Amino acid sequence: MARKQTNMIKYIIKRILFMFPMLLAVLIVTFLLSQMMMADPSMSLLNIGMDEVTLQRELDRLGFTDPVHIKLWKYLVNFFSGDWGVSYVAMPGTPVLDMIVKVWPKTIELVLLPIIIAPIIAVKLGVTSAKHKNKNKDIFIRFVAILGAGFPVFFIAKLLQMLFFNLRILTFEDINLPLMYSNAPEYLGYTSAAIVPPPPLFTLSYLAMLLFLIIGIVLVYKGAVSLKRKVMPLMEKENKSKRTKYLIWGGSLIAICLVLLIILTSFLYTFSYGTGFRIIDAILYNDQHHLWDTINHLFIPVICMVFVSLAPITRQTRSSMLDVIDQDYIRTARAKGVEEKTVLNKHALRNSLLPTSTLIIGNTTAALLGSLFIEISFNYTGLGYYMVRSVFMGDYFVIQGILVFSTIIILVGTLLTDVMYTIIDPRVTYN
Amino acid sequence: MIHVKEIEIKDIEVKLNRKAMIKKYLKFLLIPGWRDPDITAQEYEIEKIKSKRRLFRRFLTPLTIIGIIMVLFCVVLGVFAPWLTKIPLQEVTLPYYPSGILPFEPPSPEHPLGTTFYGYDILARIIWGARTTLSMALVPVIIAQVGGLVFGTISAYFGGLVDSIIMRVVDLMFVFPMMILVIVIAPMLGTDLFTTLTLYGLLFIPFYTRFMRSTVLQVKQMVYVKAAKTGGAKKFKVMFKHIVPNALSPMIIRFFGGMARTILGIASLAWLGLVDQTVANWGTDINWAQEQFTAFMAAVWPGFFIGIATIGFMLLGDGMRDALDPRLHI
Repeated sequence: MARKQTNMIKYIIKRILFMFPMLLAVLIVTFLLSQMMMADPSMSLLNIGMDEVTLQRELDRLGFTDPVHIKLWKYLVNFFSGDWGVSYVAMPGTPVLDMIVKVWPKTIELVLLPIIIAPIIAVKLGVTSAKHKNKNKDIFIRFVAILGAGFPVFFIAKLLQMLFFNLRILTFEDINLPLMYSNAPEYLGYTSAAIVPPPPLFTLSYLAMLLFLIIGIVLVYKGAVSLKRKVMPLMEKENKSKRTKYLIWGGSLIAICLVLLIILTSFLYTFSYGTGFRIIDAILYNDQHHLWDTINHLFIPVICMVFVSLAPITRQTRSSMLDVIDQDYIRTARAKGVEEKTVLNKHALRNSLLPTSTLIIGNTTAALLGSLFIEISFNYTGLGYYMVRSVFMGDYFVIQGILVFSTIIILVGTLLTDVMYTIIDPRVTYN
Repeated sequence: MIHVKEIEIKDIEVKLNRKAMIKKYLKFLLIPGWRDPDITAQEYEIEKIKSKRRLFRRFLTPLTIIGIIMVLFCVVLGVFAPWLTKIPLQEVTLPYYPSGILPFEPPSPEHPLGTTFYGYDILARIIWGARTTLSMALVPVIIAQVGGLVFGTISAYFGGLVDSIIMRVVDLMFVFPMMILVIVIAPMLGTDLFTTLTLYGLLFIPFYTRFMRSTVLQVKQMVYVKAAKTGGAKKFKVMFKHIVPNALSPMIIRFFGGMARTILGIASLAWLGLVDQTVANWGTDINWAQEQFTAFMAAVWPGFFIGIATIGFMLLGDGMRDALDPRLHI
């Protein structure tokens, strides 16, 4: 066990080190892409009526006339020192890094619910359809899944929009809900318009805290589950210390995270920063108009996204379940007299979850970049929306920034997938 | 001379037999409950069991039949387009501005599904669009598959430095989000149709390269490849005459899935307005009509047909996979 863990840590370190040359290659590719762009927006910064000598001098000063390798070097240096350029048109005057920090929480807000709901429903559907293979239920589920995969995303979004528009649910008239506590502290200046996004460090630390909180909860859950389980008397002593270890570590992690979260939140509150997440902001500043407005606007996109991301996971779960169900150990389990429910949910599902988990994590990383078709068709100003907007407007610093950012997310996602493999399937080892 | 004649007569007999056998098999497969009067009951049972294992029988599941019908429907729309509509292609594509017809009209006897932007007839555009959609999806898939086949085979066969270089490039391509990369590069190269399609095909080469590499690595270990090598065959002959035909079935299975995905992808590109607008294209139709809340059927019909084409190809691909690779069930 211990040896395997050191192997694992070595493997992770290797992978992280391997990420750097990959990132360098990505940076070079994005730089070449930006060089290929026809319209150079740096021209629009300069005055057209400028006389030629001044124009030339200004271009020299900006580095426009430099040879390519010097431009590339400058780009790399700027990238690693945190200067990703300034947006021209998409969000004029904002540095790209600030823009991503401002925009990304919105995408996460949109994507969070589908990420959690869709795999649960999809795995359940896949298991039922594998259980009733080639019967009416199975054919119905497969057909629904293929509808989600077959129709274009924007078309489904359009249909949902038309449906809700014609039923008159969740239209703009419904936002004027009666407020439960109408004490939005507008006299303090905390209106929704006045909420300013914090510097990037705040958001990052917030996210890190949330991540650690989740890890702590998982640890405590693991400890609690193992406490419940009856163990053989010989093993008791060893197991007890292990269980308490889980509880202590998890509990202390949760406590530290909560304290830090409270400190950070009070800090944000005193400086009247927002977190960038509209729902959290609305709760923090008790702005119920803002809250209901946000929830109403999230409703249809979330439904659409869940429906769309259901399809591939269901199909994958069904196929791998059918693969597993013919195996010998399933027959053994049935012959032993294990309940059919337990056979399916424990013996079969656990083994068939490996390819599905790859797909789920891949979907999650893809979703974190923002489903651009959903964001455009609902005019939801997330990462994907600004991506396409900047492509159309030729705002190439933003394009570069978002491309590099998304590749970083995908790199981390693939790393996480490989690490998750060892947790889900203990047979997998990395040497 | 006599000897030669005998052989010829035997060959003719075998051919005749084959024809009769094929006829028999076809009748057996297609007509339910048909039995040859010559065979005994035992032989009949054996034939039944044999035919169940046969590819065609495994292929014809209900969902696959639905898929075949959907694809055939689109193909028929495309092939017989001039007979299905009275309106020629030139009168529903962009340089032509019809006079006297209002845009976004409700359905009328002249225009059964109404009119769309500039006053084009929706039904005519859909029927002509089937032709372009199918042929537009075919180009990137073929480019991507052929590219993937060549690179995958070379990388798996040679191994070593060549393999690691090709696979690092593939890894690099996998790091980028594909759809975003297409959207970024497509406007740079202009709106020429063939350029967009080629770009789309080139960017999707890595997917097929990985599949091809893994299958070729398996086939490489076979005895007949070693025999060909020891027989003194040249490298490229071994690769493309002995290995590729035996490693082709996963590519054939993925052809239909690739078609479905490419139809969707190009429709999405057209919806964003990045594909040539002068072509009758279902995605462009949705783009034109999506802001119209009063005439929203103008956007619904083309999307419906995109759905038919993609779902048809998906079901066909699933059936194909079931038939060719019984170990996987999707």
